[in-house]
Amino acid sequence: MPAIEIQRQMLPMFPSPNQGARFYNPELPETEPFVPGHRTCAGCGPSIQYRMTSKASGDNTILVGPTGCMYVANSSYLCTPYNVPWAHTQIGSSGSFTAGVAAAYEAMIRKGKWKGAFPNIICEAGDGSASDIGLASISGALYRNHDCLIICYDNEQYANTGIQASSRTPYGGMTTFSPPGPTIPEAKKLFPKDLARMMAAGHPHCYVATASVGYPIDLMNKVRKGLNHKGASYLMVYTPCQKGFVYETPRSIDLGRLVVECGLYPIWEWNPEKREFDYSFRPQNMRPVSEYLKLQGRFGHLHAEHIATLQKFANEQWRMMKVELPAALIRAADAKNLVDMASAEAAAAIAETV
Amino acid sequence: MSTKGTHIPDWLAVPFAGITPAPSQERGQDLFPTGNWRAIRPVYRDKMPPCNNACGTNEKIQGYLDLVKRGKYLDAYALIKEDMPFPSVTGRVCYHPCEQACNRGQYDEAISIRAVERFLGDLGQALPRDVVTAGRPNGKKVAVVGSGPAGHSAAYQLARLGYTVTVLEKSPKAGGLNRGGIPDWVLPQDVLDREIERLVELGITIKTNTEVGKDVSWDELKKNYDACVLAVGLTEPNSVRADGEDKHGVVYGLPFLRDIGMGTSKVKLGPRVAVIGGGNTAIDCAREALRQGAEEVTMITVEGNTSEMPCVPEDLHDMVAEGVELMHGRAMTAALGNGKVEALQLCRARFSGAINASPIAVDRESPAERFAVDNVIIAVGQHASLPWLPDEFKNERGTIRIDRFGRLGDTNFFAAGDVVQVGSGQPLMVVNAVGDGKRVAFNVDKVLRGVPLQERMVPIDVITDLARMNMTYFPKFPRVRQAMLEPASRRRTQDEVIQAYSEEQATEEANRCFSCGTCNACDNCYLVCPEPCIVRSVRSNGLYKILVDYCKGCRVCIEECPTGCLEGVPELDFDTGVVRMDTAFAITPGLHGRQAEELRRLPDKAPKDIENWR
Amino acid sequence: MATAVAKKKKVRINGCVAAAQAAKYADVDVITAYPIRPYTATMMALAQMVANGELDAEYIVADSEHSQLSIAHGASSSGARVFTGSSGVGVQFAYELYSPISGTRMPVQMMIADRTLDPPGDFGSEHTDALSARDMGWLMGWSCDAQEAFDNHLLGFRIGEDRRVLLPQMVCQDGFFVSHITTDVELPDTGQVQEFLPPYTHPYPLDPRRPVSHGPQIMPEQGPPLQLERARAMEGAVPVIEQAHDEFARIFGRRYDPWLEEFMTDGADVVFFVQGAHAVTARYAIRHMRERGAKVGLVRLKTIRPYPTDRVKDALSKFKVVGVIETNLGLGSVSSGGVLYAEACAALYESPTRPLVVSFMAGMGGEAIVLKEFYWMTNKMLDAQKRGAIEKRTHWVGFEE
Repeated sequence: MPAIEIQRQMLPMFPSPNQGARFYNPELPETEPFVPGHRTCAGCGPSIQYRMTSKASGDNTILVGPTGCMYVANSSYLCTPYNVPWAHTQIGSSGSFTAGVAAAYEAMIRKGKWKGAFPNIICEAGDGSASDIGLASISGALYRNHDCLIICYDNEQYANTGIQASSRTPYGGMTTFSPPGPTIPEAKKLFPKDLARMMAAGHPHCYVATASVGYPIDLMNKVRKGLNHKGASYLMVYTPCQKGFVYETPRSIDLGRLVVECGLYPIWEWNPEKREFDYSFRPQNMRPVSEYLKLQGRFGHLHAEHIATLQKFANEQWRMMKVELPAALIRAADAKNLVDMASAEAAAAIAETV
Repeated sequence: MSTKGTHIPDWLAVPFAGITPAPSQERGQDLFPTGNWRAIRPVYRDKMPPCNNACGTNEKIQGYLDLVKRGKYLDAYALIKEDMPFPSVTGRVCYHPCEQACNRGQYDEAISIRAVERFLGDLGQALPRDVVTAGRPNGKKVAVVGSGPAGHSAAYQLARLGYTVTVLEKSPKAGGLNRGGIPDWVLPQDVLDREIERLVELGITIKTNTEVGKDVSWDELKKNYDACVLAVGLTEPNSVRADGEDKHGVVYGLPFLRDIGMGTSKVKLGPRVAVIGGGNTAIDCAREALRQGAEEVTMITVEGNTSEMPCVPEDLHDMVAEGVELMHGRAMTAALGNGKVEALQLCRARFSGAINASPIAVDRESPAERFAVDNVIIAVGQHASLPWLPDEFKNERGTIRIDRFGRLGDTNFFAAGDVVQVGSGQPLMVVNAVGDGKRVAFNVDKVLRGVPLQERMVPIDVITDLARMNMTYFPKFPRVRQAMLEPASRRRTQDEVIQAYSEEQATEEANRCFSCGTCNACDNCYLVCPEPCIVRSVRSNGLYKILVDYCKGCRVCIEECPTGCLEGVPELDFDTGVVRMDTAFAITPGLHGRQAEELRRLPDKAPKDIENWR
Repeated sequence: MATAVAKKKKVRINGCVAAAQAAKYADVDVITAYPIRPYTATMMALAQMVANGELDAEYIVADSEHSQLSIAHGASSSGARVFTGSSGVGVQFAYELYSPISGTRMPVQMMIADRTLDPPGDFGSEHTDALSARDMGWLMGWSCDAQEAFDNHLLGFRIGEDRRVLLPQMVCQDGFFVSHITTDVELPDTGQVQEFLPPYTHPYPLDPRRPVSHGPQIMPEQGPPLQLERARAMEGAVPVIEQAHDEFARIFGRRYDPWLEEFMTDGADVVFFVQGAHAVTARYAIRHMRERGAKVGLVRLKTIRPYPTDRVKDALSKFKVVGVIETNLGLGSVSSGGVLYAEACAALYESPTRPLVVSFMAGMGGEAIVLKEFYWMTNKMLDAQKRGAIEKRTHWVGFEE
């Protein structure tokens, strides 16, 4: 039997919500592949991301959910919120299970066993799966270039298991595996794995990008670019976790903007055709990291020197983005110009009693 | 066989291998409603935008700016016309209290609302048929005395309500202060003529050269009409009570402008003209004097500096740009000259603001100055002339005594506009007169329909605090400037000084509107909801719905609402102990049997259309 | 495949290639490979078939066995027929996936060519790799030669994909003794295979037209009904296995007892209870010993999951002594030897006439069990028969007098 040619979906880009001075979101698809009735925490960042992503990808989509919040909380008690096919897989199987789905559809369509355009196959891996246990499986899927999109919804920790440090947890981030104490006042000593860059560097034929829930249309367009790209794509999305970051639930989107404005989460794209990074994304403002840190309980223990360390880290990120640093941010990298977090001493005292 | 004889009780029924059928897109995963997690419920509650609130006739400014953003110009025009009969006029002459109130003013620059209104007004002018039609005739007749802004507005609203309206105007041309008080280079006469034609198109009869008390009596009004709206304005200029005011060459502001407007002016100005007064009429007079051939025009004000002057700063600025000189802190105490004014006697004075005496305190101690002039134009306000009005309806200021509904006692006479003002004699802004006329027209309607007159009881929530909105969504953006004729070229002509917006400019400017406190269907709440439990059947202002069965009360939507129309209300009313939560944990034993059954039937179900999603 | 009707033909191939041939005849859609000896040869053969255009399948070189099985899981969940495999520690590396695959009822087929587990690195066959996963809900059995391996792979697809079963299969063969020994194998006509093996369809695959969620979280009380259903599927496979073997015999002309092969058990007092390739040597040894008057026979377990308890009970109850040849490591187990002893004893427990059961740690590390070791073991069984008691539960063959 002659092989059947595979039709690929091409999704149009959304126009910017900023039309001159006017803010007006573009027309969004009516379809709702992710419906309410799930157990994610109020204001859940990953859930916001999940909704936006699925909205962008539409009905001819298959979702893969390795173990993590978006598995445990979303499909709780046999109550699934997915209006498109979704499958749980093991936390280390993010890339591989997804590859299996993609391979199956390649074969089934080619052999006439399934009729229709090649589905959008999306893996929603948490940063634990994506940066630690499932890293090799994702690398394998990217390397083999299956036509799929692998998203790391990056809430910078293992949240579902009760807030443990992952390789994406930022320096200074308090988790139950990286608590602050008199000997380790900064809590997490290690800097996060530069995951998306690693994916771009190692799999240059893939579309790789970072995004944040603070910029929904940018995120949705990157999802579509990733899906339109024939072959594997990788997207790392900042998705704040209200429970682990300890902030007020309404700030989920706000944090998504602040983290970018503070230079802690550079937004960029890797262009696989030109083989170069696109650093043209610019947030509306540039701010010192303390504006982002002070909204979150997980940084409440930080002393001035730790904040300065994070500012230095952010400043390096800005330089990497080829952004000229304002003097205020250079000053903010000097601990002399900073004060401890308001609750730093209280946090240390509590840490001793635990 | 270990499984022989086993059975799974109904309450533990689960679908095959735990494979769960997809929930309905419309209903959500209704096995698992999460609404009972919520402590605070988001609600859509549109606030009063400050512009709408500040507008004398409460134009739905935010509303029409929103329509302009969408390119729905005709709808925008129709929306203005609900409250404003002649946007082409106010789009030129209005002192735009809306712009002073505009929240954007505390952010970068206020929206140029008047310019957008003019764009829409001119669009309306060009229409072969107006979008507004007269109401179904109800057989009742109403007379409106006076065709100025208040009378025009009252007549217009009454016609829309189905009344047979007759406007009585004592001048040869209708328009009142719109015609007589506003120079051509601000409001070209043909624009006003077109708006008056629109009244006639609504079936309104306009009788010019008809003066109450002369051509028609109080009793005739009472007899021939079911109701009557008196909007005769303040027709008589105030004197400065100076010696020699009757000298030749002394003219008064409003008659000066009115005669030019009516084309009946006989005044010929000499090269040196003084204008007495610091208000808007005085400014118009000074600028008109230049256009009437004066070489040196000096404005003499009792106020000590420009900031004290009761006028619109932009107009003052434009006047100075045209070359009018200012002299502050002086009062005119006499016109000197032999039969014709040759000079003014000026004394140092200040504005005291006294209510029980003259508000102007003249310093009689300092020496008087002599100021040579060929003409003097006195523009210090007007007063009413109501010889025909029964005394019982006159108040101590000589204007009409009305109740808070604009009604004269329990008669079917109403009054609106300047003639009911108890203020200093400064004319109302046009827009306030229009609002007055509108409200009175509605009260006339209520009285004639036998509906009780009641004041509005619901408090309005004007949103003026930017912290109630989310400014992240509004980058700073400069105002779109209206082009103006250069001072050198404009000061001698009757050409319109301020130029109209193009369509692009109007849209660009309207785009700057925050839509304060009002849903403008930006879809942001819909997009950022993590559940998502915000739904809409069509994308339209205010048609968003929150599925309270699912909303967990995270308030991201409230935080991210750019305009601030979303707010949170506590789910638990601690005062009454009433719990408003109307959902509960719905997973009860046996519920998954439904899923099992659904899954069994799934292969026979019609497949989902995945080719044509959108 | 309909156009490429081939005639039946006899070829000389080893067990690895026989497995690959079976996958080709089954027209699998997705193959996932990761190299580890000795099963690698199967994937080498399939890679060549795909390269040659003989087989239209996605051939995926995974990044680990864990990924291999995950890919297989994903592909099977999507509705594709999937073939994978491994050996030794590779089988262990993928262990996490065994329960999820059977729990979601995905009939993935996994070829296992046994290899001793580390340490130290040892290429030889020992059944511990596969047996350690015996209770994970996979159908499991051993072939003893290349022809049987070919047949068992086709049978595996047929049984596992049956809507009454829907379970994954581990089709095992001994490393080297089957995987790398070339024998005559009769390859069928493709038409025969099509008749025997209908196309794979899962009732609820990941299909955007009929969306479902696979493997959601459950409440604790939802666990038991799901486990019970999986147990029912495993038990329910029994008649399906029997039917499939009948069909197989009808179409291909080779009849197998799906559960046990009995060799020279007539009049036997002592029997070996064995799985896999060592049965081939055992047959020689038994024939030889029978000639010398020893009443010895062989019972070969063909399918260990589902375990044919009653058949084992009935078959073994007839004898005086049963000698279990383990070829697997069950450190600290019931017999302190392998795990098969417990399986045999448990089946016999309810029998009114229970034979003595003794366990032999033989063929460990992939060593061949040579004839003289079979003689030694037979002597041990005959001694026990004579004495009416076993000397000890487990003998380490080759290390005792």
